[in-house]
Amino acid sequence: MKIVVGQGSCGIAAGAAKVYDGLNNNLDKSKATLTFSGCVGMCYLEPIVDIYDDDKMTRLVRVSENDVDNICKFAQTKDYSLIENITISKDDEEFLTKQTRIALRKCGIINPEEIDDYIQSDGYTAIEKVLTTMSPEDVIETIKTSGLAGRGGAGFPTWFKWNAARQSQGDEKYLICNADEGDPGAFMDRAVIESDPHNLIEGMIIGAYAIGAKHAVVYVRAEYPLAIKRLQKAIDQATEKGFLGKNICGTEFSCDMKIKAGAGAFVCGEETALIESLEGQRGMPRLKPPFPAQSGYWNKPSNINNVETFANVTWIINNGGEAFAAMGTENSKGTKVFALTGKIKRGGLVEIPMGKTLRDVIYDIGGGIRDNKEFKAVQLGGPSGGCIPAELIDTVIDYKSLGATGAIMGSGGMVVMDESTCMVSMAKFFLDFTAKESCGKCVHCRIGTKRMLEILERITTGKGQENDIELLEELCFAIKDGALCGLGQTAPNPVLTTIKYFRNEYEAHINDKKCPACECAEMLTYSIDKELCKGCTLCAINCPVKAINGSVKTAHEINSEICIKCGKCKEVCKFSAVKLS
Amino acid sequence: MADKINLIIDGKQISVDAGTSILDAAKQNGIYIPTLCHDDIVKVYGACGLCVVEGEGMPKLMRSCSQKAAEGMVINTSSQRVVQARKVALELIMSAHEGDCKAPCSLACPAGTDCQGYVGLIANGEYDEALKLIKEKIPMPASIGRVCPHPCEKACRRGLVEEPINIAGLKAFAADIDLKSENQYIPQMEKETGKKVNIIGGGPAGLTAAYFLRLKGHDVNIYDMMPNMGGMLRYGIPEYRLPKKVVDKEVELIQNLGVKMHNNVKLGKDISIDELRKNSDALVLAVGAWKSSPMRVQGEDSQGVYGGIDFLRNVVLGNKVEIGEKVAVCGGGNTAMDACRTAVRLGAKEVYIIYRRTRNEMPAEDIEIKEAEEEGVVFKFLTNPAEILSKDGKVCGIKLQKMMLGEPDASGRRKPVEIEGEFEEIELDSVIMAIGQKLDSFGLDNIEMTSRNNILADENSFRTNLDGVFAIGDATNKGASIAIEAVGEGGRAAIAIDAYLNGIDINIRKPYYSERNVTAETLKDKEKIAREIVPQLEADERKDNFTEVVKGYSCEQAEKEAKRCLECGCREYFKCKLLNIANLYDIDPDRFAGEKPTNYDGKDANEFIVRNTDKCILCGLCVRSCKEVMNISAIGLLSRGFKTDVSPAFKLPLNETDCNNCGLCVKLCPTGALTERNTMDKQVPLNEKYVDTTCNVCEKNCSITLAYYGNKIIRVIPNDETSRNCHLGREKLIEEVIKLK
Repeated sequence: MKIVVGQGSCGIAAGAAKVYDGLNNNLDKSKATLTFSGCVGMCYLEPIVDIYDDDKMTRLVRVSENDVDNICKFAQTKDYSLIENITISKDDEEFLTKQTRIALRKCGIINPEEIDDYIQSDGYTAIEKVLTTMSPEDVIETIKTSGLAGRGGAGFPTWFKWNAARQSQGDEKYLICNADEGDPGAFMDRAVIESDPHNLIEGMIIGAYAIGAKHAVVYVRAEYPLAIKRLQKAIDQATEKGFLGKNICGTEFSCDMKIKAGAGAFVCGEETALIESLEGQRGMPRLKPPFPAQSGYWNKPSNINNVETFANVTWIINNGGEAFAAMGTENSKGTKVFALTGKIKRGGLVEIPMGKTLRDVIYDIGGGIRDNKEFKAVQLGGPSGGCIPAELIDTVIDYKSLGATGAIMGSGGMVVMDESTCMVSMAKFFLDFTAKESCGKCVHCRIGTKRMLEILERITTGKGQENDIELLEELCFAIKDGALCGLGQTAPNPVLTTIKYFRNEYEAHINDKKCPACECAEMLTYSIDKELCKGCTLCAINCPVKAINGSVKTAHEINSEICIKCGKCKEVCKFSAVKLS
Repeated sequence: MADKINLIIDGKQISVDAGTSILDAAKQNGIYIPTLCHDDIVKVYGACGLCVVEGEGMPKLMRSCSQKAAEGMVINTSSQRVVQARKVALELIMSAHEGDCKAPCSLACPAGTDCQGYVGLIANGEYDEALKLIKEKIPMPASIGRVCPHPCEKACRRGLVEEPINIAGLKAFAADIDLKSENQYIPQMEKETGKKVNIIGGGPAGLTAAYFLRLKGHDVNIYDMMPNMGGMLRYGIPEYRLPKKVVDKEVELIQNLGVKMHNNVKLGKDISIDELRKNSDALVLAVGAWKSSPMRVQGEDSQGVYGGIDFLRNVVLGNKVEIGEKVAVCGGGNTAMDACRTAVRLGAKEVYIIYRRTRNEMPAEDIEIKEAEEEGVVFKFLTNPAEILSKDGKVCGIKLQKMMLGEPDASGRRKPVEIEGEFEEIELDSVIMAIGQKLDSFGLDNIEMTSRNNILADENSFRTNLDGVFAIGDATNKGASIAIEAVGEGGRAAIAIDAYLNGIDINIRKPYYSERNVTAETLKDKEKIAREIVPQLEADERKDNFTEVVKGYSCEQAEKEAKRCLECGCREYFKCKLLNIANLYDIDPDRFAGEKPTNYDGKDANEFIVRNTDKCILCGLCVRSCKEVMNISAIGLLSRGFKTDVSPAFKLPLNETDCNNCGLCVKLCPTGALTERNTMDKQVPLNEKYVDTTCNVCEKNCSITLAYYGNKIIRVIPNDETSRNCHLGREKLIEEVIKLK
């Protein structure tokens, strides 16, 4: 029997390390071996423990320290009733069974700190195949056949970038992996590195071979310490086994790999800013042209791909470009990983073939909206993306269809919103993020996003002015056109799409000084429903500014002149008598 | 020979070397593309977003600084889309640019006089240069300096600390020195154009227009109905405020330029508009407002009732005016003050001011009111003439309706309301109505008028309904105003008329300037320095004669007073690339008004270089040149987003960095965020001139540029690698500056 404790950052945060320690101390090791894996992507069920007994795998979910005893007993007795209450339900199993996993295929299954685990699951076969049987041009051709496109957000054909870097003159070239995952609510890349780092390494070596690079760099944000630790361990192991360094797999090809920890600037996810940062400069985008393929890291031809892009490469090499291209739609091939978060029942990592609809992800896999509320919209692509409203839930997930809505595929952030989300506040939230993360170099991004944010501030605090929507739109288009890099050019997207689909909410804020979702505190009025109020006085006792009047067993009243809209009364009322309007 | 690239920019087929940017390609072919962050000395950067151009068939605008010219490109540098993009970029930049391009005094001056400039020059003892600067806008500064109600001083920020600078007094000071000197300043005149301009009216508006048109080389004739030139300066302002000999001298200087002056010529009687149009290329109507407004009260036509300006004019002309011993002057403006104080000087024993509001609402200058009081004038506030009482057709008194103050009116002043049934009577010998003046439209038959019966003239081009006929001053649009308004119109009209004579149709609009909002709180740490008191005659010495009351500053006093100036206006005003480009586009940064940086405390400076980060537009030229050219990196970029800032590492002060004072950053800064102290004691924005030369301090013979003003070298600017790194010549300059401190 083998017991595997999921230990991604998310699992550890949910208590997986304590479960692991408990098992380590109490498990009879003669009955079962204990190991760990990365993250399987079922965030809402963490901590997760998988028990392998012969061919059968039992998945335990929301495991706590208190369950350790029973698991240990189970190891002794194999009495399934001991773990019945923490065994995953059929419904929850659907979260995974309805997915198609390629980039994440080994995540949460193998031990990310053991190269042998990776090798035993067909690891490092692709690089051997490439180095011994394929020319760099063959590799690029295979990637071209697969239709793989950049998973970092822009969706640029991977083969084209590789080919451009390959064709670029120069004996020194660099392959760079962009693991500066910064979108709020996105954690696909972290999961890949923490759970299957060798797959990334192998994909990168193949890329390095294809473009002719002898040096590879992974730029990881420093806020991912576990990812950095596991990746470094993996690099060391791979180097030791001869998959990295001189004469890889005994061939002429050599390539080394290092990690650069980024200091946590969102803009460093932009490829030219990333290069500046790699060179030790302030992370600010460079003008394009020249493109990195011509002049990148240390002004040498460089190719930069996202983690998920590389994570698909080994599968494509092993299974053929056609197999990958067989999945997806006319213009988008293969699968895409999403980090499903927000007001969703089942949140986590979802990998699906292109061509599925948003409904498939949100309802079939995600299980629909939490607390049975109404689905309102979904934000794709984080602060660079846009929202898609409920009426477009049957939109097909591919680059073209998502782009047509005004949103983008993005790197995979998928934030689900329900009826209680104010769309103006939502746009403000993302814009606040980009405005603060702007590197400050170009005028449009530095000042333009600030001005947009100020307008949104006044709209959400009831001070909106008559032509604010038009002014916002003007700024949006000016910034899209004028900003230097992707950060600025896409920053207006959340605002543009919310204006497009929820203009009425903006108008309600500006004209009627009302927030329809009852989220913008400054525009809310708290009142007590006289029918429902039992006169328990709890609200009056808890009100920090003594704005509530009333005596025992009579209906209470809120003095709106004094009320600071803190929401405490609503929170404490046991009869749902406090109403918002 | 490099490969050639052929492309079209703005319809022009051009050929450039391969690898040339579109910006350079345009520049090489005389096509201007604005940029604020690009300079050949550093690598391309692309921050400002102004150099964008549109390429045919290209969906996005391109930054021309980085985009290389490619074969067959068709580029448009000024399409509507490009202009709009630049406009928005400039509006955004300006919305976050905190500073005063020009000082508030100068902005408040209707003639746009560089007040801070001449005050600063006086502070440095540069009286001649101060006078020259004043005369760029005001041809009669000795007169205007004496009579101007100085809107500049109302705007002066010293007023928020204790009292405003005596700007008008300093103007009169500089002008008097020139008038008294043997070599009075005569500006450079352009060569004769052969074009003729006729001007009707020799007051401040007409004289100013004449002066500037003459300097442009035009043949100028002034026709005036009065015996002497000067208009209201001469006939509306009493001798004790503005001696006639001052007016005479200043008129003479204008005459000496070759302006032909014809007096005792009355429009509609001696000459006609048709006639003057026919024998000239342009005609200027500057006829003024010479009719006293009536009060519309009973008894107004009695003997002994005079109009305010009529009274003053008759006194100047030496005509006998019977006012008796008891005189009432109705009105609260400066003319009323002039009239009552003149009445005192003519020997009246009891002089009253009848004014329907209170002293607080009086439009007259405070000093005038104070001096009238000192001279014994009795102020009857909150009274309004109800009837002028007469006996045998001759004034014998006045019946006054008592008033009280009600709600504020459109002008913001509280409106006087009658107190029903409450009256007062005063015995009088004469009444002077100084409640306003209006245009005498005699002879203006074909000229289109406003609803208030003033000449209708376009505010930006000064054109009337008749081609080639322009109108300025009190006679136009809103009617009578202060002299400096007329001077301002005269100066601007001269530009418009000169353009017209050259076949160009222009509109003179107020340029865009960045302005700070400064309050007393902002200036609370400023040292208080009392205003220099101008010596003047005591009430007893002055009230029985017409001797000039104000004696004027001594040199020592003037310099002391001028040094009080807070130096509000930007030192880089004359060189500011940002301001120049901003005014090429019709910008309205207020659309995007929001948070502005307010970090500047004036402390981040060494002895030489001053950094004002509030004005910084983050073009990065300073940071990049310090790093790429000088290899020093004394300053760098800090923080992110809107809070991004240029600063030495760890926010150390500049003099704790490796800065070697080469001044390259100051030279490249497109705005006033970086300035260097010059050899002037009092720092003042100057339109300096430059000459390239060789430094002779050591044998290296570095290439330098000298910046000078008048005949004074004020800065030394290194020009090459050796001078930037050696800067012995600059060190001498720095020493001099430190000495001054």
